[in-house]
Amino acid sequence: MTSTATAPPETAPAPEPTAPARPARRHTPAWLVLPSLVLLVAALGYPVGWQVVTSFQHFGMMQQFGQPPEWVGLANYASLVTDPELWVIVGRSIVFCLVCALSTVAIGLGLALLMGAVSRAGRLVLQVALLLAWAMPVVASMTVWTWIVNWRNGLLNWVLERVGVDAQGHNWLVEPLSFLVVAAVIVVWMSVPFVALSIYAGLTQLSPEVLEAAEIDGAGGWKRLRHIILPLVAPVISIVLLLQLIWDLRVFTQIKLLQDAGGVANETHLLGTYIYQLGTGAGDFGMASAVSILMLLLTVAVSWYYVRSLMKEES
Amino acid sequence: MSRILGPASSRHSTRGSTRRSVLTVVAVLVALVWAFPVYWMVNSAFLDKVTLQSSTPTFLPFGGSFDNFATVFGDAGFIRALGISLAVTLVTVAAAIVIAFLGALAISRFRFRGRRSFILALLLIQMLPAEGLFIAQYKMMSSVGMLNNVLGLALLYTAAVVPFTVWMLRGFVAGVPVELEEAAMVDGLSRTKAFLRITFPLLAPGLVASGVYAFLQAWNEFTVALVVMTEEQSRTLPLWLRGFVQASATRETDWGQVMAASTVVAVPVIIFFLVVQGRMSNGLVGGAVKG
Amino acid sequence: MKKTLGLAVATTTAALVLTACGGGATGSTTDPSAGASGNAGKTITLWLAGTDTPKELRTYLQDTFKSKTGATLKIEEQSWGDLVTKLTTSLPDPKNTPDVTEIGNTQSPTFTNVGAFSDVSDLYPELGGSKLLQSFVDVGSVDGKQYALPYYFGSRYMFARKDLWKEAGVAAPKTLDEFNAAVKTITAKNPRTIKNFSGFFLGGQDWRNGISWIFANGGELAKQENGQWVSTLADPNTVKGLTQLQDLYRNASKAPADAKDQTPWLYVNDADEILDESGNVTGKTSLAAATIMAPGWAHWSIGDLKDKDGKKVREWNDAKFSAFVLPGNDGKPAPVFAGGSNIAISKASQNQALSKELLKIIFSADYQKKLGGAGLGPANTDYVSSLGDDQFAKALIDSATNSKLTPAAPGWATVESKMVMEEFFSKIRDASDLTALAREYDAKITPLLNLK
Repeated sequence: MTSTATAPPETAPAPEPTAPARPARRHTPAWLVLPSLVLLVAALGYPVGWQVVTSFQHFGMMQQFGQPPEWVGLANYASLVTDPELWVIVGRSIVFCLVCALSTVAIGLGLALLMGAVSRAGRLVLQVALLLAWAMPVVASMTVWTWIVNWRNGLLNWVLERVGVDAQGHNWLVEPLSFLVVAAVIVVWMSVPFVALSIYAGLTQLSPEVLEAAEIDGAGGWKRLRHIILPLVAPVISIVLLLQLIWDLRVFTQIKLLQDAGGVANETHLLGTYIYQLGTGAGDFGMASAVSILMLLLTVAVSWYYVRSLMKEES
Repeated sequence: MSRILGPASSRHSTRGSTRRSVLTVVAVLVALVWAFPVYWMVNSAFLDKVTLQSSTPTFLPFGGSFDNFATVFGDAGFIRALGISLAVTLVTVAAAIVIAFLGALAISRFRFRGRRSFILALLLIQMLPAEGLFIAQYKMMSSVGMLNNVLGLALLYTAAVVPFTVWMLRGFVAGVPVELEEAAMVDGLSRTKAFLRITFPLLAPGLVASGVYAFLQAWNEFTVALVVMTEEQSRTLPLWLRGFVQASATRETDWGQVMAASTVVAVPVIIFFLVVQGRMSNGLVGGAVKG
Repeated sequence: MKKTLGLAVATTTAALVLTACGGGATGSTTDPSAGASGNAGKTITLWLAGTDTPKELRTYLQDTFKSKTGATLKIEEQSWGDLVTKLTTSLPDPKNTPDVTEIGNTQSPTFTNVGAFSDVSDLYPELGGSKLLQSFVDVGSVDGKQYALPYYFGSRYMFARKDLWKEAGVAAPKTLDEFNAAVKTITAKNPRTIKNFSGFFLGGQDWRNGISWIFANGGELAKQENGQWVSTLADPNTVKGLTQLQDLYRNASKAPADAKDQTPWLYVNDADEILDESGNVTGKTSLAAATIMAPGWAHWSIGDLKDKDGKKVREWNDAKFSAFVLPGNDGKPAPVFAGGSNIAISKASQNQALSKELLKIIFSADYQKKLGGAGLGPANTDYVSSLGDDQFAKALIDSATNSKLTPAAPGWATVESKMVMEEFFSKIRDASDLTALAREYDAKITPLLNLK
């Protein structure tokens, strides 16, 4: 972390606080943006370019092992979009994604506000708990969760039985809906820490005076939240919500590991797992690339309205 | 940190303090629920595999042992993997914060040509699924001879987290009114000093949040590391951890060991967070707002 | 220039290896000055999957390789789950490819067909030829040429609760029909009145164990016709096996519809904790089956609960448990699905000659016996006796003699990654027309089998 502490002195001369267009500093923004651009082009330029090109090719294991790839134009895309199964899964994924992303942000916002309203000790306990959950390696957290819902010796059934529900041997993963609910709980559990800590970081920027002033004016808690707090942390909320939408739409690891533990894979696929077995899992990298591009377009479509309003704010 | 913070605090009234105690209880309860799977991991790390398969849960690791931890620490690959993961992660965090901070300044404090395209590009990059990129990433790193290279992996990681961190920090930079800095300059501070004294402290929470994010992304990433760190000597912790899960085709996985290894992997993150948190609240920037 | 030198060295050492084997010597008596000088600075890399090859065997390989060729053998362990990804990226890259790699047997056809491996047909007779486990050789061959050879095998057999079989009044089965009838009887009688008790526990999606019934009835999953692979689930013999499976799913197994082949041994073990503090019976869900089918190594996890050095362990108890091979219709062992792996030389390797030397060491009598000694089925059937003569070794050997693998079709890996077989098996239980169901899945599988 010392790096953050030392970074600003070097960078400090550049960020002139005054807004646009003083001729002397015309080139400043270019210099500021340059490192990001160089980095992104260096690390992603070739892979993304390769992916775009490959999506128009027949590129499977044969080609990976030296056969020349064959141009197939839009064939990969065509076979994707004409696959009726895909659209069922797209629908399922969108619902799953909206439910997860909205609950995550709602809970995350709630916890962030809670952190702001409690004593220092309480806040630290909550922060550390959230961070523990976030820091837990995925393989460990998925294993623990599958243990909890295990039909034979799972903690969930054990507890339910103790409170008088006949849950012995109930299999939570065999019904697709029940499987997806379990998956949603896990995904939300995993993502809330990031959202809560980010929004809380945003809250800490507000000056207490603003909030206290609002209180003296007699604004109630709810009104204060809606009219003062939310607008001020809106930039953070909007970016974390967008990210949750993006991530939850293509959630992969959690679903895959849960499918390994139970459930019928072909009834519980979401976009992430479906495209994985369609492309990479099947060694068909042309298809995998086409799927990635299609995913990108889908994500843009799902978040289009949102992105547009974000971009409008920019101008 | 609490001195900067404490939003929405109603610390003046008794009604407020009762409310606050109730909320603190709620917060602790939420914390317990959230951390339960983590507790379960640590608990299991002390148990042997037969006990873990029992049909009655074992809530406390009494009768457990440190054997699993002994196995983990006795693993020759652990220290090496820890070193590599630390190196990759710290480089990623440092690079991501510096680069993203500059980018964030540019888009929140300046209007320039290509600004909107830059912002849009950052968004689009995050929407691109990373799963399909691994073959090309391997080819690229192999052709420039950067396989099994800590800096090479850190480069890929930094690129993966920078789009988000720029967005995140941009919100924080935008949240600091330019007038604050200008006011300070009127008071006779140089621009640099004004920035350091006024703006930077207000960005601290954002830097911490981005830093934690970058740290966790780099710390727990698996696929890219798998593909570009091909040799056993250059494995990161997640790759090493995976070895415990899928150790053998002819023996069952010892989940107690997996849990012990996972616990050990999670510890540095907590340390990182607590250190950063402590730094932020003590001295470095604390109190800047209220003077 | 460099290449010819390498070849010359290789031939010399090859001759030496031959003499070493022929004379039955221990293999480390080779004169190091012969081949050593030319190879001294060279290193080849061997990828082994998982921890299955014990340390002792690795050391043996490294030492023997050093003394025979003078070159160094570097062994890197790859995790099973990531092997395909790593092979996909590294094998085509001459700069970073492993020289020799282990590969799962069902993963072999794909990589063999795309030309990732070197042709070792010339070496094949010398390495064991027809003595090598045929089903494993098949998945590593294309057009009669051998690329990937067997490394070790494991096999699946039955683990049963002797006491429960007795309580239900059924005898050990001699044929497949007897087995099917016996486990149904046990389920019906449920001698200890345990809720959801299975005479034979077969997970609803557990095709890896279930296909034994297809093989036992002479059925196949797929076959090659005119150079093209065709799925054959709807063939009469296959359907016969499927019908028996349906009967088992309906009348013998109470396993969850979504269970796969993970940890079935949990269900034949007794309750871990029979009493809680107040003396009430708990953990009654633990014992749930009288019979399971599992890879041979499951016997480490089956048995009575014992405390050993403060740790809880399972200890096999002959009075309570038995292990036997699934009998076929003719009374001989039924063909079951074999686990295990193959080994092959990367085509992109810069050290072909040295790699072949390594293969010779691996297929030497010495090493084959060491594999058996470590409980891994040796590739060369001449040495299976090295597995020992306890009941597990016996069951392993018996089942392996007749073992089968998934089709050697290049696209079989796709079928597995799409989990088509899981889906198909999950529908068997409730299917009213098995042949129609099988046809439906033939239509799904056939296009996947051949590489596009």
